[in-house]
Amino acid sequence: MDERFLEIRDLKKSFGSGEARQEVLRGIDFTVKKGEFCVLLGPSGSGKSTLLNIIGGIDTPDSGFVSINGDKLEDMDEKQLTIYRRKHLGYVFQMYNLIPNLNVKENIEVGAYLSDDPLDVEEVISTLGLQDHKYKYPNQLSGGQQQRVSIGRAVVKNPDILMCDEPTGALDYKTSKEILALIEDCNSKYGSTVIMVTHNEAIKYMADHVIKLRDGIVRHNDINDKKIPASELDW
Amino acid sequence: MRNPLIKRIPKELVSDWHKYLVIVIFMVVMIGVISGMYVGHDSMLAAIDSGREELKLEDGSFELSRKASPELLEAISTGEKADVRQYFIDEGIRKADEKVADAIEEELRSQVRMTIEDQVRMQMNAYGITDEDMIRSQIDSAIEENFESALEQARSSEEFIEASNEAYEEAHSEVIEAVDEKWDEISEQYDLADEDFTPVAVTIYDHFYRNVSEDNDNDGTEDATVRIFKSDDVIDKASFNEGRAPEKDTEIAIDRMHADNVGVSVGDSITVGGKKFEIVGLLSYVNYLTLHESNTDLMFDAFGFDVAMVTPEAFGEMKARVHYSYAFTYDVKPDGKIEQADWSERFLKALITQTLVKDNEIDDYLPEYLRQASNFAPSDIEGDSTGTGILCYILIAVIAFIFAITISNTIDKEASVIGTLRASGYSRGELVVHYMSMPFIVSVAGAVIGNVLGYTVFRNMAVFLYYNSYSLPSCHLVFSPTAMVKTTVIPLVLMFLINLIVIVKKLQLSPLRFLRHDLTKSKRSKARRIPAWSFMKRFRIRILLQNMPNYAVLIFGVIFIELMMCFAFGLPDSLNNYGKKAPDMVFADYQYMLMSSKDSDGNVIETSEDSAERFSSTGLLYPKDSGSFRAGMGSGGDESVTVYGIIKDSRYISIPADMEEGQVYVSSAFAEKFGISSGDRITLHEEYENKSYDFTVAGTVDYEGGIAAFMDNDSFNSVFGKKQGEFSGYFSMNEITDIDEQDIAMVITVDDITKVTNQLMHSMGGFMDIFKYALVVLAAALIYLLAKIIIDRNEHSISMVKILGFKNSEIGSLYIIPTAIVVTLFALVSFVAGYFLMIWIFHIFMLQMDGYFAFYMAPGSMILSVVYLLLGYIFVSVIDYVRIKKIPMDVALKNVE
Repeated sequence: MDERFLEIRDLKKSFGSGEARQEVLRGIDFTVKKGEFCVLLGPSGSGKSTLLNIIGGIDTPDSGFVSINGDKLEDMDEKQLTIYRRKHLGYVFQMYNLIPNLNVKENIEVGAYLSDDPLDVEEVISTLGLQDHKYKYPNQLSGGQQQRVSIGRAVVKNPDILMCDEPTGALDYKTSKEILALIEDCNSKYGSTVIMVTHNEAIKYMADHVIKLRDGIVRHNDINDKKIPASELDW
Repeated sequence: MRNPLIKRIPKELVSDWHKYLVIVIFMVVMIGVISGMYVGHDSMLAAIDSGREELKLEDGSFELSRKASPELLEAISTGEKADVRQYFIDEGIRKADEKVADAIEEELRSQVRMTIEDQVRMQMNAYGITDEDMIRSQIDSAIEENFESALEQARSSEEFIEASNEAYEEAHSEVIEAVDEKWDEISEQYDLADEDFTPVAVTIYDHFYRNVSEDNDNDGTEDATVRIFKSDDVIDKASFNEGRAPEKDTEIAIDRMHADNVGVSVGDSITVGGKKFEIVGLLSYVNYLTLHESNTDLMFDAFGFDVAMVTPEAFGEMKARVHYSYAFTYDVKPDGKIEQADWSERFLKALITQTLVKDNEIDDYLPEYLRQASNFAPSDIEGDSTGTGILCYILIAVIAFIFAITISNTIDKEASVIGTLRASGYSRGELVVHYMSMPFIVSVAGAVIGNVLGYTVFRNMAVFLYYNSYSLPSCHLVFSPTAMVKTTVIPLVLMFLINLIVIVKKLQLSPLRFLRHDLTKSKRSKARRIPAWSFMKRFRIRILLQNMPNYAVLIFGVIFIELMMCFAFGLPDSLNNYGKKAPDMVFADYQYMLMSSKDSDGNVIETSEDSAERFSSTGLLYPKDSGSFRAGMGSGGDESVTVYGIIKDSRYISIPADMEEGQVYVSSAFAEKFGISSGDRITLHEEYENKSYDFTVAGTVDYEGGIAAFMDNDSFNSVFGKKQGEFSGYFSMNEITDIDEQDIAMVITVDDITKVTNQLMHSMGGFMDIFKYALVVLAAALIYLLAKIIIDRNEHSISMVKILGFKNSEIGSLYIIPTAIVVTLFALVSFVAGYFLMIWIFHIFMLQMDGYFAFYMAPGSMILSVVYLLLGYIFVSVIDYVRIKKIPMDVALKNVE
């Protein structure tokens, strides 16, 4: 396993200016190994989504750097960043953000199109348990089904890193566990590194690596040697 | 792998088909009409052009007072000038020789008689005879006996020969002196002494005609004048729109347009020159595309004038006088207008001189390029499409803008999806292409269908419109590259660029801002406080305030619609207004243009009419700004300006008596059109010569009838190198009857001005009405699209208030009433804006045309232009209400972007 697949060094980020200036990240340092399931844990306002956005190259830090496989994001221009996201990242958000007038299969193809080496769309649909829904439109699906589609859209790219921002935030307990199990499957089956932002403490038990944030700094950086399957999680 | 986003496009088209249908129809109509106009024009111009070749259009014609001898025609066709001076000298010497010979003979006879008488008297005296009777008798017998021999002897005497030679020489030199004096004058007048003269060889054709009366309904009264040509003419031939050429002496073919106007057709009988003829064909003569009876007519007259063809035998039987008209073609074609003018002048010199030396007279001369009857229609057709083209582009730009706003709203709605796609690695370019595809597809569809209709339906409409005015030959469809560019490339580029700019600008934002729905540049200001009105009222105000950007677009659209309304109502109103004001647009009830200020005998042309007043005039050109967008459009050429020389204290045109040379007053139309004011300097130039004149504008004369400049007559003569006292014609309050018609070039009366506007209304009237209603429909379509944007944007909110329990009628009143208030308020404001904008646009439009008339709207039209818009809005409101009713409640509940 590549020890420093993802490296984050002294990352700082603030919003606003003058008295309204708010430091969201105040010097974040950690590394993530390739293939690791990493959970960024913290309460609202702890800076975890901002950190995820910076890692995903859709936000920029004020100082410090993020490097993936030795490539620093700060050295990349916008075009290179787009290619970086295209080649290496898959995104899953709390809101599913599916394209309303494309059906399930087509929404997943939207992800496949971006990759030079995509997974088989049908296989992904099957893995996600969406065979019976593949010709349905997003507004014909439940929230959980929509989130499955959004995961499918992200993993079909066969990304190096799967970025998940509160993927279960809008889902009920049962559906949340199903979604987490799916992400876990993708991590083990396709070997993608997973970085998941959540405020749900219970989720840390299924992760290899747990980073706890509070007030913009890393409070805990723990390796979980006793991870349990998502299906066994309880909260 | 194909971009899966492509699959969205047909679905998008289907789901919002009514919106795209409106846009496509809009584009199809606009592009179709403009394409039809261009294709129609190009087809017609191609038909006219090919007709010039096929039907052998002359390069010019001249009419002689007597039939020309073969020698004269031979001499003219060489293009060589005759040696007029030598002709005059030869003629003078011949006549002088006759006179001198007579004088010498008489003198010689008298001298011989006297000599014989003297000798007899001397002899008789020597014989001492004094009886006078005897002497007289002796003289008589001596004269009888010796006169002839003495005469003969005297003739052979050296003294006589010397004396008579002297007499001849003296007479000859007097002749030469007189001819030289006269020749200087003539050669200056006609520029005959040109040493660089090179002849222009021509081929001449007989093209005789008779002007006879035409009685269309055989009721014994003359309805029109018909110009009869023979069916075997080999020049200026006719094409037949219907029927055939006459083959019998009782058959006639008449002009198609005239037949249409007076309501006769093939198979009917008409009385021509007192004899009944059966109409066997409707034709269009290549040199009579418009029925100008005389080249000096301001407007053609398809009712009162006709051209027709009969067999040579029927022509021979007619009684009216034959006009010995000859058409000619250059053996080598001139290249361009300047060469045409130059060749025409050179040929005229040959014509004048040869006719003179061959003892004939010219009644008329007209080079083809100046011939109104064959040039009026094509130049009108060429100039016509410009206005429609500009309107089309404005409409396309508006549609493109609406499209861009719609897409911009879609981007707002799809912000999260766009953010996700961008975060997943979709590039900005890919998304730009994606969002551009819809306007591109719709524009291409509009352009393709529009062009297809343009080449079929609308082309025929355009052709029909012109056939309604002109005697044009039958035309065949031609591919028009101009139409292709102007109706496909330009609308596509317009649509493409406007949408590209808006979409690129919109997609500039970072993926994160899309994900956060943070799409506005300015941060939200504090919530505005609203007075404590009723809840519904405050709710409406909130909706109004929240939708300000959309209402801004709506207001823009309303302004544009009002602009279109002002155009649709204002154009016919302006024409009518011009017609009504026409009587004020002549300086005098009669304006006589003379051929020259002197008659053929060299006497100044005078009249006893008390109100007659001399004036001078000449035609110059005012340069149009070549750097502006107008360059190359419409007439494209410079503006024709009539410069008048006015006598001091004129009763017709009021300019100060103390104007200096180089100062002019300009007509108010001239000043308005080009923004000229007192103190400005203007430069006017000759059309065919490289001469220009600078003037200082001293003021304006209130005259809307034309582009004109006025100066003192003496200054006029001095500036234009005329002789003192020269003038061009007379203004008069009454008809002048004591000037020989031969000396009058043209008479302009109020009727001529109204004839122009009547003809314009006749040609454009039907078109104007169609145009007006088409614009009303377009206005309704525009307002539909604009109102739809507001409902679309508020779909989520509407769904939410439905969930909260608001009734459809309440929601309708919440969302429709603010729009209604905005539309009504801005319909009124926009009318004012549109009205003034139209005045400005009309002004720009007029700059491309020759002449000027101001924009005018009747009060009734002003009211109607607002009422029509509101009616359109009421219709759209009903559709909006139905749409509001249909918005489902789950829009606000489901998490579908």
